[in-house]
Amino acid sequence: MSGDMHQYAFFLGCIAPNRYPGCEAAAIKTSEKVGIELLPLKGASCCPAPGAFGAIDLNVWYALAARNLVLAEEMKMDIALICNGCYKSIWEVNHILKHNDELRDQVNDVLAEVDMQFKGSIDVWHLAELYYDPKICGVDKLAASVTRPLTGTKIGVHYGCHLMKPAKERHFGDTENAMWIDELVEALGAEAVQYRNKMQCCGAGGGVRGYDIVHSLDITNEKLINLEEVGADALTEVCPFCQLQYDRGQIEIQEKFGKTYNLPVLHFNELLGLAQGMTPQELALDLHGIDCKPFLEKIL
Amino acid sequence: MTETKEESRIGVFICHCGTNIAGSLSIQEVMDYAKTLDGVVVADEYQYMCSTPGQSKIIDAIKEHNLNGIVVAACSPRLHEPTFRTATQEGGLNKFRFEMANIRDQNSWVHMHDWEGATEKAKDQVLIAVAKARMLEDLQPKSVPVEHSALVLGGGVGGMQAALDLASAGIKTYLIEKAPTVGGRMSQLDKTFPTLDCSQCILTPKMVDVGRHPNIELRTYTEVENVEGYIGNFTITLRKKARGVLDPTEALERGIIGGGCNGCGDCAEVCPVIKPNPFEFGMAPRKAIYIYHPQVMPLQYTVDFDACVKCGLCVEACGEEKRAIDLDMVDTFEKVRVGTCILAIGYDFIPIEQKTEWGYKRFDNVITGLEFERLICASGPTGGKLIRPSDGQIPKKVGFVLCAGSRDNTGGVAKAYCSRFCCMYSLKHAHQIMEKIPGAVPYLFYMDIRSFGKMYEEFYYRIQNEGAKFIRGRVANILEDPTTKNLIVHTEDTLLGRPVAMEMDMVVLAAAIQPKPEAERIRQMFGVSKSQDGWLLEAHPKLNPCGTTTAGIYLAGVCQGPKDIPDTVAQAEGAASAASIPIHTGEVQLEPYFAQCMDEICAGCGMCVPQCPYGALALIDKEGRTVMEVTEAKCKGCGTCGGFCPGGAIKMQHFTSPQICAQIDAFLLKGGEY
Repeated sequence: MSGDMHQYAFFLGCIAPNRYPGCEAAAIKTSEKVGIELLPLKGASCCPAPGAFGAIDLNVWYALAARNLVLAEEMKMDIALICNGCYKSIWEVNHILKHNDELRDQVNDVLAEVDMQFKGSIDVWHLAELYYDPKICGVDKLAASVTRPLTGTKIGVHYGCHLMKPAKERHFGDTENAMWIDELVEALGAEAVQYRNKMQCCGAGGGVRGYDIVHSLDITNEKLINLEEVGADALTEVCPFCQLQYDRGQIEIQEKFGKTYNLPVLHFNELLGLAQGMTPQELALDLHGIDCKPFLEKIL
Repeated sequence: MTETKEESRIGVFICHCGTNIAGSLSIQEVMDYAKTLDGVVVADEYQYMCSTPGQSKIIDAIKEHNLNGIVVAACSPRLHEPTFRTATQEGGLNKFRFEMANIRDQNSWVHMHDWEGATEKAKDQVLIAVAKARMLEDLQPKSVPVEHSALVLGGGVGGMQAALDLASAGIKTYLIEKAPTVGGRMSQLDKTFPTLDCSQCILTPKMVDVGRHPNIELRTYTEVENVEGYIGNFTITLRKKARGVLDPTEALERGIIGGGCNGCGDCAEVCPVIKPNPFEFGMAPRKAIYIYHPQVMPLQYTVDFDACVKCGLCVEACGEEKRAIDLDMVDTFEKVRVGTCILAIGYDFIPIEQKTEWGYKRFDNVITGLEFERLICASGPTGGKLIRPSDGQIPKKVGFVLCAGSRDNTGGVAKAYCSRFCCMYSLKHAHQIMEKIPGAVPYLFYMDIRSFGKMYEEFYYRIQNEGAKFIRGRVANILEDPTTKNLIVHTEDTLLGRPVAMEMDMVVLAAAIQPKPEAERIRQMFGVSKSQDGWLLEAHPKLNPCGTTTAGIYLAGVCQGPKDIPDTVAQAEGAASAASIPIHTGEVQLEPYFAQCMDEICAGCGMCVPQCPYGALALIDKEGRTVMEVTEAKCKGCGTCGGFCPGGAIKMQHFTSPQICAQIDAFLLKGGEY
């Protein structure tokens, strides 16, 4: 560990680098300012997506996730990641394989073909969880890193299912009325607004977006109605897939249901980047489906 | 190796147990093998060894072959050891000359599909049992006298029933209740299903009876501090918590003639401190000197010393004549000796606010079933008028969330088991609102309706016909409309196969139940096991549902597992019956598995004494030497001291070192020699 920096192997996932590169840039640049160093996890594959892969063949899901874990084990570092889907795959497979010898042996038989072995020697963390953890960063330290507070903005928080559920296998406390990401948002100077059905799914995960887009957008639409009701200036989440569903989904909702919201959707990393003084260009906010200008005008 | 004192003449009997054993291993092979073992003079098999002809085989063989040891390879000694011991005794042997090999539960049942393996294992089990049987000695069970008194812990309906039964059978019974009054949960209920009897009306006679019965020593506001002893001779220390108020007897002891509390209530009248009444879940006020409700037994006020400011107004109001109030009172201790004990300590509700999806304690109009009981009860905080906590309006649409935390595997405070009475009380609640509020509609969100008792299903139909609505599916979450404070219940209707959302004026959660927090401490004091979910464990779920694995301790009511009032009372009567048997017999036989100190080897070092979990050992002077002595009635034969003794001076009867070594040698050497 260099100085008092906490080092992690940074698992990128697919959606952040491909669709919202700002999430990736922000993760690396913002975490540095609070004592977290994210090092590239070279050779990583897809996590693989829990809904799509898990629903078709669990063994593939175990093996691919285990391979990503082994890469970090070889670096002798815990994994940090920025996506709830990745969290479910990587954290949960790590957890399952650590507690199931038989399955671990099966997975290691597969990994042996690429000269790898899963040892179970590391842990997996969501970056948001590291921001919240006082032993690593904590709300106060995060607030201290803010140079451009998001004062006067109302932000609705979306937690996401794969982060919080299944409740009995997670360690985030209350899963039905969670507040910890709200605390992180408030640390940036914004008001975290409470809205109806805050803990409801975004509509995308579990393969629903791929399988039945109308149904999936219907769920998203309900969330957007509730956010509009409380006058949110933006929605924030900690999962690029939720971000995709809310952001690009608004365009699809407009096409399919003829309803317009224009609610800016920003990953928490992007919000933190803005609060720490990064520019919209650095955060590639122009790549968002929904224009973030109305929100930016409130803070810049 | 110790020499066997006499030539072994062992009889081995293999049981088929129908196909339980014979269907998974070769009885014939095991029997043929048994015949080859040293010391075995006869081996036989039978369809059911526990049957009368099976037992006759043992009795006849003892006489015919002059046997001095019996081995039965069959089921578990927990089931049939007493049966075969009796047969051994009837054949003329000491009953401890019997050894059992469990080739069913520990073999054929677990190796059902491995004929060869199970057969080989059964041979080994018989070999080992024979090795021990050759070393067995005659033992004499010990009898201890039993105190002619009993203790019942918990003054709810179960505890009261048990105490009344014991007392009516002529046994002096101490009834201990930690609250200031008996009555328990049942006195908080308004009506009881399915008869709709008023709960308090059917309970008060029992409360009055326990207060009046000459054989019942009622101790309210009292907790058990310590338990010592064993069946027949328990010494129990009671902590009488400082009540601040004297009853007439206590007043007399202090020389106040005709004094003590008469329940007039003048003290509460003048008390300046107002606190929420926990009996009403804080929905009504009480003073720092209080009674829970008008029908308490005993009718004696109690000072809440956490709230009392010791202003002394109550002392004045009570007056010089009664002088019932003593604000400097401290806890006192009392020791009682009893023969048997019944635990009837009841239950608690889970902290349902931790199931945050339903918003209890976040939303005003979400209440629990027990709070509903108080709100609908004529003697409750609203005089029986059901109103919404948020605005005092009368609710028209009331949702009932069943299985609120029961039958739920999501972890946290949720419980996997069914709490057993919530379906029925929710049906009763539905009936009550339809009866009391014109135009009110109850909506029951249920997973299954479990109406299992006598006349329960008929009650369910009745509520359906009265117009209650039933939606099958577990409630996902509840949201509050911030302006109206109405509640939107989101659930799935599994019969329609679609999610539904319905707006309700009020929601009642049928919260799951769990063991009381103090159950753990009480259980350990009385030496009772617990089941996986924390309920106190009965000795056998079907054949000994009131007893425990500790002799002389019995269970009644929900502390053993969820049940409704009829089942609680039935179990209480069963427990009272079981607890009275040793008392009426006057003595109990203890199995002679005691530790024995071999004085000639004992060095008197005393290292064994602190090891004993039951305090059965002590050092004594004997013929000028210090040696250890065992109080046999206290010894449970656990073997801790025997394993610990550095000089090997402690003999564990029926499990002696030579016997155990013989078993190990037999297995490792397969009958060979060193």
